[in-house]
Amino acid sequence: MAESLALPRDTSNPVVSALTVIAVQLAGALFLRQFLLIDDWRLVIGLLLLFGAALVLMERVPSLEARVEAAFARHSRLALLLGIAIVLAFPFVLEGNTYALHLCVISMLYAVLALALNFQLGSANIPNFATGASYGIGAYASALLALNFGVSFWLALPVAAVVATIFGFLLGIPSMRTRDSYLALVTIAFGVVIHQLLNNLEFTGGPNGLVGIPAPELFGHSFASPLVIFGQELPSQANFYYLSALLVLISIVFARRLHDSRVGLAWNALRTDELAARCQGINVTWYKVLAFAVDAFLAGFAGTIYAFYVGFISPDNFTFLVSVTIMTMVIAGGMDNILGVIVGAFLLTLLPEKLRAFSDYRILFFGVTVIVFLMIRPQGLFPQRLRRYGH
Amino acid sequence: MGLTASSPVVLEGENLTMRFGGLVAMAEVAFTLKRGEILGIIGPNGAGKSTLLNIITGIYIPSSGEVRLEGERLNGVPAHKIVARGIARTFQSSRLFGDLSVLDNVIIGRHTHTKAGVFDAIFRRGRAKAELDAAAAHAETLLKSVSRGLHEQRHRPAGELAQADRRRLEIARALATDPKVLLLDEPSSGMDDADTDALMDDIRAVCAQRPDLALMIIEHDMRLVASLPHRVMVLDYGQKLADGPYEEIRKIPRVQEAYLGRKAAQHAGA
Repeated sequence: MAESLALPRDTSNPVVSALTVIAVQLAGALFLRQFLLIDDWRLVIGLLLLFGAALVLMERVPSLEARVEAAFARHSRLALLLGIAIVLAFPFVLEGNTYALHLCVISMLYAVLALALNFQLGSANIPNFATGASYGIGAYASALLALNFGVSFWLALPVAAVVATIFGFLLGIPSMRTRDSYLALVTIAFGVVIHQLLNNLEFTGGPNGLVGIPAPELFGHSFASPLVIFGQELPSQANFYYLSALLVLISIVFARRLHDSRVGLAWNALRTDELAARCQGINVTWYKVLAFAVDAFLAGFAGTIYAFYVGFISPDNFTFLVSVTIMTMVIAGGMDNILGVIVGAFLLTLLPEKLRAFSDYRILFFGVTVIVFLMIRPQGLFPQRLRRYGH
Repeated sequence: MGLTASSPVVLEGENLTMRFGGLVAMAEVAFTLKRGEILGIIGPNGAGKSTLLNIITGIYIPSSGEVRLEGERLNGVPAHKIVARGIARTFQSSRLFGDLSVLDNVIIGRHTHTKAGVFDAIFRRGRAKAELDAAAAHAETLLKSVSRGLHEQRHRPAGELAQADRRRLEIARALATDPKVLLLDEPSSGMDDADTDALMDDIRAVCAQRPDLALMIIEHDMRLVASLPHRVMVLDYGQKLADGPYEEIRKIPRVQEAYLGRKAAQHAGA
């Protein structure tokens, strides 16, 4: 069934397409490195213009985009290995800049959250404004376990994810009685309720939150101490960098496998037409609740890593605004496209940080940038792709 | 094979009544459908044709009366389970999954014949993938048998198809569920005569390949109603007006009135 490709066949020289893959990946990594390290606002604007120009080029010359895509499809193994190598090597080229590493960790956690929400918003078009709440539930559940019962990070991680999933189910069930805007309202209410509970309950520490969450340990190595690899010393943030990178990888595997499965198809079906989906034998209610659960599961993971990373959490880390930001990442990055969602998460995490030079106008500039990018690519930076079979 | 005098009844409705508040959309309608039979349903707008389809497919629960598939009661069974039991349908205004490929649309029709859940998809990928690939292969064969032209367009988004191909795809998607009964809601609406002729040929071919499949077709196009169904049921104001071969039905004054207009009907009667 090799001829049944939805994508145009890559007929060019295999060496050329392999080089294309390598060049695109290295360029992406270089771009991210420069963007993380520069401070001068003029350079920031320059890089953003460069990014905008790349988007315009992709939009204007679809054949170029198709060619890059075909090259990646052809050399998927090379792309994967090189991608892993780049991610592993990346902290070494950041010149020991702890702030840049910190931004990487936060971006990756947001990438996980955006991938989690993408199951709902992107695959099934469920406007869930409670991902921030699931993130908070994961963070609080693991922190409480660690502080009160001395549970280690590695055990707290899955337990917190399960707790968040249970809450995801609890939110999913009443949500099924509503749809569209009303569904969004239910999820907003859930997020507010969770925030209020965290703020007012005794055992969650109220507005002061939880302090002194111990850093995780692995084989006697504390994540609070610097990481030494091949005689190179990396700041302690590097521990969490690799941990979050692993979580992003797991999330990508989850997302890809679900997207390419019967479950992903069922979600896509009910996204377009619920009634038609029911008439193909899809239990629409069940699949929607399932999307809530998967979203909460991954968000719970991200929350745990966040709690143990910063060591201090308060209700204000998990407000309604966090949920809105995650939603923007999915929409701006590209609904139901894994790469798009990750790029969206990085862009929207890094932009406000890099625009600090504009002080008061920071958020305004941030908004304008996102709008401009969306004007260039209305379907999101990387729109949804059709599936292929038989490979 | 096909329809014979001794063919068993596969689907039947008894005293079907549907009330929406004070409005009676359907009153005491009874029908039977035999294995391999094609039943046409005609009637003016608002006669209750689509209501009947919605009752059979579980979208509406009838206020009273019951529907039985091979003797088993269907009332209250949710829509998605009714599909699994063997009743598939198409929609009057085509309701395809427009942003998915033609092939994906048909694969979704295999939903009730596949099992992989979230756990399988993530941790037993080989199994889930093999199942989905088998569904894709099945869908390809099915598309090819329904229409070669459609099969050639299988990687296009369904939303880009021409009207006639959209209808064919809806039929292919419904057939993918391996139904015992297929319900078509105005398959020829919005088509010109040439497209309708091609559609009728396709439906005949589908029936020839599946002699046991029972069909219920809601139609307004009298050319289709005259030639395709074995039997025609007339609905009017939510009630059954008549039920019989087209040759008998067309003589009924109320039918002529509805389809030819009052004057022409009087003229025909005179």
